[in-house]
Amino acid sequence: MSDLPILSLVVFSPLIGVLALVLVPRDNHRAMRWIALLAALASFGFSLALLGYNTGGAEFQYREDLSWIPAFGMRYTLGVDGLSVVLVLLTTVLSVVSIFYSWDPIRVRVKEYYAAMLLLMVGMLGVFVSLDLFLFYVFWEISLIPMYLIIGIWGGPRRIYATVKFVIYTLVGSLLMLVAILAVAIAHASAGHPFTFSYETLRGFGYADGLQALAFVAFFLAFAIKVPMWPFHTWLPDAHVEAPTAGSIILAGVLLKLGGYGFLRYSLPLLPDAAVSFAPIVIALAVIAVLYGAMVSMVQPDLKKLIAYSSVSHMGFVTLGAFVFNVQGLQGAIFQMISHGITTGALFLLVGVIYERTHDRAIAHMGGLNARMPQYAAIFGLFTFASIGLPGLSGFIGEFLVLLGAFQYSGWVAAATMLVVIMSAVYMLWMFQRIFFSVPSDWMRRWWPSLKDMSRNEWLALAPLIVLVVALGVFPGPVLDAISGPVDRIIEAIESSQGLTSFSLPW
Amino acid sequence: MQLIDLAPLLPELILVFLVLAIITVDLFLPRNGKWILTALTVSGLVLVGAACIPVWGVNDRIFEGFYVVDDLSVFFKAATVVIGILAALFAPSYLAQRRMPLGEFNTILIFSLIGMFVLASSADLITLFIGLELMVMPAYLMTAFHKTDRYSNEGGLKYFLLGSFASAILLFGISWTYGLTGSTRIEGMGALAHAAGPAGILAIGLLTVGATFKAAAVPFHFWTPDAYQGAPTPITGFLSVGPKLGAFALLVRLFAEGLGPMSADWYAVMAILAVATMTGGNIVALTQTNVKRMLAYSSIAHTGYILAGLAAFAHAVDPDIRAQGIESILFYVLGYGVMNMAAFAVVGMLQRDPRRFGGLGGFAGLAGRAPWLAAGMAILLLSLTGIPPTVGFFAKLYVLIATVDAGVAWLAVAIALNAALAAFYYLRVIVYMYMRDPEDQPAPIDRSPVGIAALAISVVAVLALGLFPEPVLAFLQASVASLF
Repeated sequence: MSDLPILSLVVFSPLIGVLALVLVPRDNHRAMRWIALLAALASFGFSLALLGYNTGGAEFQYREDLSWIPAFGMRYTLGVDGLSVVLVLLTTVLSVVSIFYSWDPIRVRVKEYYAAMLLLMVGMLGVFVSLDLFLFYVFWEISLIPMYLIIGIWGGPRRIYATVKFVIYTLVGSLLMLVAILAVAIAHASAGHPFTFSYETLRGFGYADGLQALAFVAFFLAFAIKVPMWPFHTWLPDAHVEAPTAGSIILAGVLLKLGGYGFLRYSLPLLPDAAVSFAPIVIALAVIAVLYGAMVSMVQPDLKKLIAYSSVSHMGFVTLGAFVFNVQGLQGAIFQMISHGITTGALFLLVGVIYERTHDRAIAHMGGLNARMPQYAAIFGLFTFASIGLPGLSGFIGEFLVLLGAFQYSGWVAAATMLVVIMSAVYMLWMFQRIFFSVPSDWMRRWWPSLKDMSRNEWLALAPLIVLVVALGVFPGPVLDAISGPVDRIIEAIESSQGLTSFSLPW
Repeated sequence: MQLIDLAPLLPELILVFLVLAIITVDLFLPRNGKWILTALTVSGLVLVGAACIPVWGVNDRIFEGFYVVDDLSVFFKAATVVIGILAALFAPSYLAQRRMPLGEFNTILIFSLIGMFVLASSADLITLFIGLELMVMPAYLMTAFHKTDRYSNEGGLKYFLLGSFASAILLFGISWTYGLTGSTRIEGMGALAHAAGPAGILAIGLLTVGATFKAAAVPFHFWTPDAYQGAPTPITGFLSVGPKLGAFALLVRLFAEGLGPMSADWYAVMAILAVATMTGGNIVALTQTNVKRMLAYSSIAHTGYILAGLAAFAHAVDPDIRAQGIESILFYVLGYGVMNMAAFAVVGMLQRDPRRFGGLGGFAGLAGRAPWLAAGMAILLLSLTGIPPTVGFFAKLYVLIATVDAGVAWLAVAIALNAALAAFYYLRVIVYMYMRDPEDQPAPIDRSPVGIAALAISVVAVLALGLFPEPVLAFLQASVASLF
């Protein structure tokens, strides 16, 4: 069993699905949907094997290591620690959900759609399991193009503007990150070591201060754009509003996590001195993101935009938790990523449910839906509370831990962030009330006769998310156990660092 | 008198005989049998490629030291053969639709390739100049190949006038070099370092201007858009990579081999030219709505990236890192050659209706009408942008490694920012292909099997070299080793 290349199977099963899709005749949509779903399920099935992950150690497990481009020491190295495991599982679950949910809404260019979804899976999963910086970068870029197509082809009216903005923002960040990756690898090689991009080798190396500072800024920019942090967040509302439902689920559920993962996996352990020195600035930006996202959410007229801005706020917690450098903060950050993935994924799916029926997302147009769609109202309510952070649901654990960590860092930071707990209750509950309980608008009454409650397929798509949001809220233990090893490892790297002592530009 | 051993000249000799064979066979072929010319040209070029194998490792100087057959020249020749084969495969269908003679095209093409061979092998400034002229004279003819088309004539004339001007400047630089050093040998050019004062600077300046004119670097790029737009599209593909390969062979010979010892003196000029070229090319390409013209301007930007490799060579001290700079130039030129020719070929395929000029509108909704062609073009555009896993990505990566390693990280940052800028206009074509509806009367597509096959091979090569560049890396690292 241990000889089986589990991680390669997880990452590349969707690719086999893409190849199979190519062979299906153009109008056989049914076969395409099944192939895509089966490929995603295969990947999910293999990822379940990672539950056998040994939480005792902080070392990478399920390793695979093959020579790739020896001229520059690039290797095909895969491996997971607890952080990767939870994110891989999140990715496979959300991908299965979103591919399954696309069954009805996507009716044009079905083949290209599922091919893009599966390729996106390959890229995202690859990012979470690569242990070679070059391989990581390749997967990082691969995840970009399918989302570009998904928004651009199957999106709303302003889809082209939104998707080009998304790509250009991301590319600027990632190309600078590529230069930083090269700079780091070359600095290591110039010290007399063989040329390598291996993460495990590069992370222990003491880089010169000037290089650390610049590389940190480059990495930070790439990840901060992805997360997205204020002030690099402006692509997100556009992308979300225009993306098709499944695209939004993946975008909010997984793609934003690539940024958070980048902070934890690369920024902190690779460049600890710079991370320590830059932490106050990052924390300030994170607090601004948390508050700004919440404030802007309060005034959004569009349901999707509201949830998009709330993501800016919630992901601010992730960055904040990552940079306060204590166990609670880091555990909270990781937990918040998982929880936000599930909650926001589900919320976008729920927005899709009403959008499929009325083709509109304006909050002002809705009202009184509770009367026509009680099941829908109940589920929406569940995830609304999860998003606010009600104890007993997954959202609470992450935010609570991050606040705990922030309090140890500084009472003022914690106090400022605490405000958002009230603000999120305001915007989420007000939104919920306007949609489900207020008097139905005239516009909504036109749809009244044709409004049906949730279909069987919609229930099926949401079921895993409902289970997870409750289960993780009540039993966070397994996740916290799994990530404790990697968290300790990050703390170790940070605590042994002195911060930047001198500044000198490397040229 | 001692007889010269002609064995190292085998590839060049085959090329010359190939030209003669094409001219002769063309005379006896019926109008509907012209495909034999393409078969003859391609098989002849394959033979030339095979003849390069025994020449590998010879590292000999012949003709009294005027001509060098080293491994570096073999790499350039192999890349030339690849480009030549692609040109011979992409052009016939386009030319036939416009009643342009195929025999003459193949003849001119092979002459140009001979020029590139001579250029790559020149060990003397005289040989270098002869090779250069032999390469660009056919290129002028090819630009004006569409005799009845005004734009083609205009482009050809502009290319000829400005090209001759540049050649004259280069020649002037060569004469100053000779005057100062008393030799026309490239390896003796290092003596210019001792030619103190304005004369030495003048010589190097004239050489730089002449050479970068040929490579179409900003601010010496003004001939490119008109020449590229006027020329028949598949020929534009060849012009944008063939003479560019030659120009970089010239730059490598002149600057890396000849002026290499005094590289610290010209590093700053190259670096500034590189940044100006990539930025200038990209900014103008951004505003183009014609894909052919956009690709023409973007080829200027690519020249900038390649020049950055030369700047990295110049700034580095360690021989290994210097070699890396040259390697990045070679890899980029080869990868760029394949992807750019294929991209121009797709533009050509959408010009089956001769009134089409390669506007963006012709690409609208292509994914629905011709999914495979659109997918191929999308991969080529992503490669030109520099998205993995494509050869274009690895080429940029190589230049980035060379620049960072040489300690000119700011050049790497400039390249990274420029690549993001370029994404904007390359991806715009993908937007049209995938995200817009076709025009009312969509452009008819030329589906000639030869062109499609060549395109498929190019796209597969673009992906394969991006994923597994190792074989080419080994080849080019060995060939650059002959320089140091």
